Amino acid sequence: MEIMIKTIDQVTVVDITGDIDGKTAPEAQAHILPLLEPGCKVMLDMSRVDYMSSAGLRMMLSMHRQTAGNQGQLILVGLSEEIQDTMSATGFLNFFTIQDTAEAGLASLK
Amino acid sequence: MGPLIVPGTLDSLSVIGKYIMDIAAKAGLDKKAAYRLRLAVDEIATNIVIHGYDEANRQGDLELRTELNEADLTIFLEDTGASYTPGQFSDRTDLHLPLEERQIGGLGVYLAMQGVDKFHYEHFEGRNRHTFVVNRTPT
Repeated sequence: MEIMIKTIDQVTVVDITGDIDGKTAPEAQAHILPLLEPGCKVMLDMSRVDYMSSAGLRMMLSMHRQTAGNQGQLILVGLSEEIQDTMSATGFLNFFTIQDTAEAGLASLK
Repeated sequence: MGPLIVPGTLDSLSVIGKYIMDIAAKAGLDKKAAYRLRLAVDEIATNIVIHGYDEANRQGDLELRTELNEADLTIFLEDTGASYTPGQFSDRTDLHLPLEERQIGGLGVYLAMQGVDKFHYEHFEGRNRHTFVVNRTPT
């Protein structure tokens, strides 16, 4: 798994490539959580993630709690159908703001 | 396919994932069924490493075997870690609650049980065995 972080139009874009599992999710979370400052706008781009286990759900939950606590905004983009299925089965899907593409995600955070 | 024996560490999860996807392809499972099987085995393997080995200060392997016949694909996952009862985590009564009020533990076992057609756990002679069965869709 690799994480690339960049800023576009004051939005922090977190771009993950590879599998998010019990090994890589805690590593990703350690990189991402310090970025979620008060009032932040964050877009998590999952379009290069083919697989995510419940460890990834836990990471998303931490991100959700921290951005909500900091009056920030978090948006998820590029979720595969299978990852959306996992989020749906566990009741996660409805609690996140989701867009299909990075372009749509950035537009919605403006 | 032959068995796979790997150390009971989180580093082994990606190797296990590849092994499961290979056998799923050989069994002709569709994309979603293959994904759910990988997820099921990965969730349980993760729990074994964290709870059965690490937290119990034990070390050991994860051993996977497969059986393929006309009707179904069966995966056996065995370890020598501390035993636990997956069933105790399977009741998810809080899935409708807002995320702020959730207990997060046990989601993996829930996904494992949801992801396959039959799921079975047994403990014998100091070993734990998880069995995952997926029906092969007729072609």
